[in-house]
Amino acid sequence: MEGLELCYMSAGELSRLVESREVSPVEIVEAHLARIDATEPVLNSFITLLPEEARSAARRAEREIQAGAYRGPLHGIPVALKDLYNTAGVRTTSGSRIFDTFIPTEDCTVATRFKEAGAILLGKLNLHQFAFGPTGENPDYGHMHNPWDPELITGGSSGGSGSATAAGQCTVTTGSDTGGSIRIPAALCGIVGLKPTYGLVSRYGLTPLSWSLDHAGPMVRTVEDAALAMNVIAGHDPKDVASAQVEVPDYTTALTGSDGTGLRGLRIGVPAEYFQVPLDPQVERAVREAISLMESLGAEVTEVSFPMFHDAQAISGAILVAEAAAYHRDLLLEHGHKLYPPVRLRLEAGLFISAADYLRAQQARTLFNRQARELLNQVDLLAGPTEPVTAPKLLATHVQAGEEEVATTAALTLYTRPYNITGFPAITVPCGFSDEGLPIGLQLAGRPFDELTVLRAAHAYEQVTDWHRRRPPI
Amino acid sequence: MSSNSTYQGVSPIANQEDLDRDTFLRLAAAAGLDVSSPHIEELFPNVRSLLASLESLRQMDVSGAEPDMAFIPPRE
Repeated sequence: MEGLELCYMSAGELSRLVESREVSPVEIVEAHLARIDATEPVLNSFITLLPEEARSAARRAEREIQAGAYRGPLHGIPVALKDLYNTAGVRTTSGSRIFDTFIPTEDCTVATRFKEAGAILLGKLNLHQFAFGPTGENPDYGHMHNPWDPELITGGSSGGSGSATAAGQCTVTTGSDTGGSIRIPAALCGIVGLKPTYGLVSRYGLTPLSWSLDHAGPMVRTVEDAALAMNVIAGHDPKDVASAQVEVPDYTTALTGSDGTGLRGLRIGVPAEYFQVPLDPQVERAVREAISLMESLGAEVTEVSFPMFHDAQAISGAILVAEAAAYHRDLLLEHGHKLYPPVRLRLEAGLFISAADYLRAQQARTLFNRQARELLNQVDLLAGPTEPVTAPKLLATHVQAGEEEVATTAALTLYTRPYNITGFPAITVPCGFSDEGLPIGLQLAGRPFDELTVLRAAHAYEQVTDWHRRRPPI
Repeated sequence: MSSNSTYQGVSPIANQEDLDRDTFLRLAAAAGLDVSSPHIEELFPNVRSLLASLESLRQMDVSGAEPDMAFIPPRE
């Protein structure tokens, strides 16, 4: 089988070939390493590559599978971790040269679980420095570049995960999401990104940004792969104080047939407020068409009102910068001059938020969560754009959203932050392309710990569209 | 398409006059920052912008709402 075909197969497709021994993990890993060699000079997805370690792990997986010890769908499948996931014996930089030689002695829980599942670690992925920014800028290790147009941003902070997955450099990647850092690059790079419910996936061994907003989750090319990854990484971890003690289902049970029947009877709410903000008309059209398609497949679509949507930026912004400043304070005071200036300024500004203002934001969060829960008592899912725009140009401080020019950072986090505040699960799936050939994402958010419904709807929609099959020109 | 004022408000408001320079420097020193660094001049407008962006929070009626500090979302 041709190498590029292997690189663009989903984990689900590859796993069926691996289990039946039609394809070896060694072939898969070699194909991906070749793809990385060919595309990395343009994309800059990785901070650290592990070719020899990956080859060795692939040979081990091949031996195990030949001996009949198949571990499951991620056995022999390439994964890569955002470089703020600690990996024993492999440097973990958090996107800063300050940690260029930091080599953890212990794996984070997600890495441990991937290893136990037999997945093969290809490397560590580039990110916006300390995950504190939604664009994918990183002067220390080089900015990330969008596979659909390298002059454009990947989105961030998990930009390397977005570009690597979209360009076929890796099958399964991970991101962390504090204000949208999984969903933003997933949408701008044309892939699937799932921010699970707060507490469902362990953050043990991840560099924090904001304790009460941080989530870990998968970035992949299909909804099936999101389910497969969740089957491995979700579940209680006593090492993470925020880890939820909930039963974890088999997420693949959310996957229905190829005719969109999974949407039948689902109640989907579309907040009117989503369309009262500056929004690229091409994005609005694609998202409304996606929602109409879901309705035609049996979903009950209604317009709902989510007035506090407009307060999300203020609430989330105050909590995020205050918690980030608290976590990074010592680093900031000692090594502030070594940080990327925009990251440094945001962190330092966080030192000026009073305890009263921080707690007021948490009080507002209570009201916000109450309103979101009430909405999700009326409907099963909330649907809308993941991003108000397609990928902006690298280093652009402002972006055109419809008739208005808006700050890039504010625009990119507009639709994602609400679900960091609530902790509710939210997924982005490709739902179209702009006239310029840039991907557009549809965001579906559900009730806490109801990833099954989120995945069910996303998968049913994906099955009747082909957006996820398109490949970037690189 | 209408534009919402709150969305506009998330973009930092650089011309707020609430925080004067002397107060800023006192707060910066108390926070442990080196106020003699030229960098501090760059930080000043950023801090003013951030504090101004909190104004919408201060105007919200949050009476009766305890801070949501438990973090784990309740099951429905």
